Amino acid sequence: MGNLIVITNLAKSFDDKKVLDNINLSICKSERAALIGPSGSGKTTLLRIISGLETPSQGTVQIHTRNIGYVFQEPRLIPWRTVEQNLLFVNPDAELEDILAKLRLKDFKNHYPHQLSGGMKQRVNLARALITNPDLLILDEPFSSLDLPIKLEIINDVLLQWQERKFTMILVTHDLKEALLLADRIIILSSSPGRIIKDLTVDLNPVNRKISDPALLSIESDILHVLSSAY
Amino acid sequence: MIKLERTLLGIILFLAIWQVLAICLDANTIVPGLGAIFSELTGLVGKKTFLVAVVSTLVKVIAGLLLTLLIGLPLGFLLGINNKLFDMFRPVIMVIQAVPVISWLTLVIFAWGIGFRGPIFITFLSLFPIALLTTVSGVRNLDKNLLEMATLYRVPRWQVIRDIYLGSLLPFIVAILDVTLGQAWKVILVSEYLCGNSGLGVLILAARYEVNPAKVWALTFLAVLLGLITERLVKLLFRKVAKRWAI
Ligand SMILES: Nc1ncnc2c1ncn2[C@@H]1O[C@H](COP(=O)(O)OP(=O)(O)O)[C@@H](O)[C@H]1O
Ligand SMILES: [Mg+2]
Repeated sequence: MGNLIVITNLAKSFDDKKVLDNINLSICKSERAALIGPSGSGKTTLLRIISGLETPSQGTVQIHTRNIGYVFQEPRLIPWRTVEQNLLFVNPDAELEDILAKLRLKDFKNHYPHQLSGGMKQRVNLARALITNPDLLILDEPFSSLDLPIKLEIINDVLLQWQERKFTMILVTHDLKEALLLADRIIILSSSPGRIIKDLTVDLNPVNRKISDPALLSIESDILHVLSSAY
Repeated sequence: MIKLERTLLGIILFLAIWQVLAICLDANTIVPGLGAIFSELTGLVGKKTFLVAVVSTLVKVIAGLLLTLLIGLPLGFLLGINNKLFDMFRPVIMVIQAVPVISWLTLVIFAWGIGFRGPIFITFLSLFPIALLTTVSGVRNLDKNLLEMATLYRVPRWQVIRDIYLGSLLPFIVAILDVTLGQAWKVILVSEYLCGNSGLGVLILAARYEVNPAKVWALTFLAVLLGLITERLVKLLFRKVAKRWAI
């Protein structure tokens, strides 16, 4: 399959501070890539450059779609609008019934954001990204503030949606287990300025992975080995 | 209900103290008897001169407010989103705020003489900076993350203004209405008194020439009452409008 994103020799500085350096990265259509790195290594900046919210200082980013769904780290919901209105805000023609049901938000569509739990808000954040029918779904540490059971639930929701739509996915996380449950490729960034120090394929079933699966655990320990020697 | 009773009791107590004071101080002082004030009140309410004055003041209050809001809010919005413009306008706003009202009044009398334009203009000058600066801080208070989200999803500009800008500005607009409504009545009365040719302020001036404190109090009471009523009405109206944005 063809590439959706091709990044060549990308570097990014804020004032004099170099945040990203020498990034070369191609991501195929329908691929699910996880980006891992210490905080401050420029993960969010890379996502923002890919989605056009920030411009590179050097290098080029080619991206073959304009349909991007971005699940922000914070929910970014309009406080005085209901769940339904928040969703229609980004796509007034969206058919909401299906997605609300699948993300278990049906009973909450007339709620205001402050009436929702953290997990619920992130589901709305996800639903908002999905109803724009994205070719590329970007997730920036979307589950980091959630408890484990809820986290696993939403991860499963994301996987079901991917099975249905086969969008390309880039997930930023600092949780290795999360990456191993969701991604078929894991890219590891060095500490600031971020460079790619490892890029590996996750050779597991695309879906229905278990955290306790020995194959998964063995990949995890390989990665931990890389990480411990890198940082 | 208990609360209402307590309020009523408070009012009765206040009136009683007033009456005692009036009797102690005697006759035509600045604390006239309640009877005298009441007879002035009833005398005023039906009279054509009074009604004409009320309408005249009301029209000026509304005109002053509209002028303030129609210029203050959009300009505040503009200065809020553009820092360079704000820096350019700031000296002018500071001057408007710093110049004493008396100076404006004198200049207005030179320019337009005694009339209806003066009070409206003075109201505008005293309220406009509040409306403008409050709007500016409202715009600056906007959640940049929400705006970025809208940019990412390529939400049309008008929709962003309706759903994000207006929604976050609403509390600031309520605050502006709150302050300017109360102020407008006071400023209009003062400027009518000093450079007007009609309205409640002019009636108070007349009562001064008659040396009639009871009439001054009666007019004051009616002015306060009208002020409160308009405040309620405007807020009610505003809440109706705001409801359409589901705030
Ligand atoms: N708009 C900005 N202006 C200046 N510095 C920034 C900006 N955005 C990010 N940075 C800096 O770039 C570095 C990387 O940030 P970020 O991409 O958020 O890292 P991560 O998401 O990996 O934690 C940080 O040191 C951060 O302070
Ligand atoms: Mg980040």
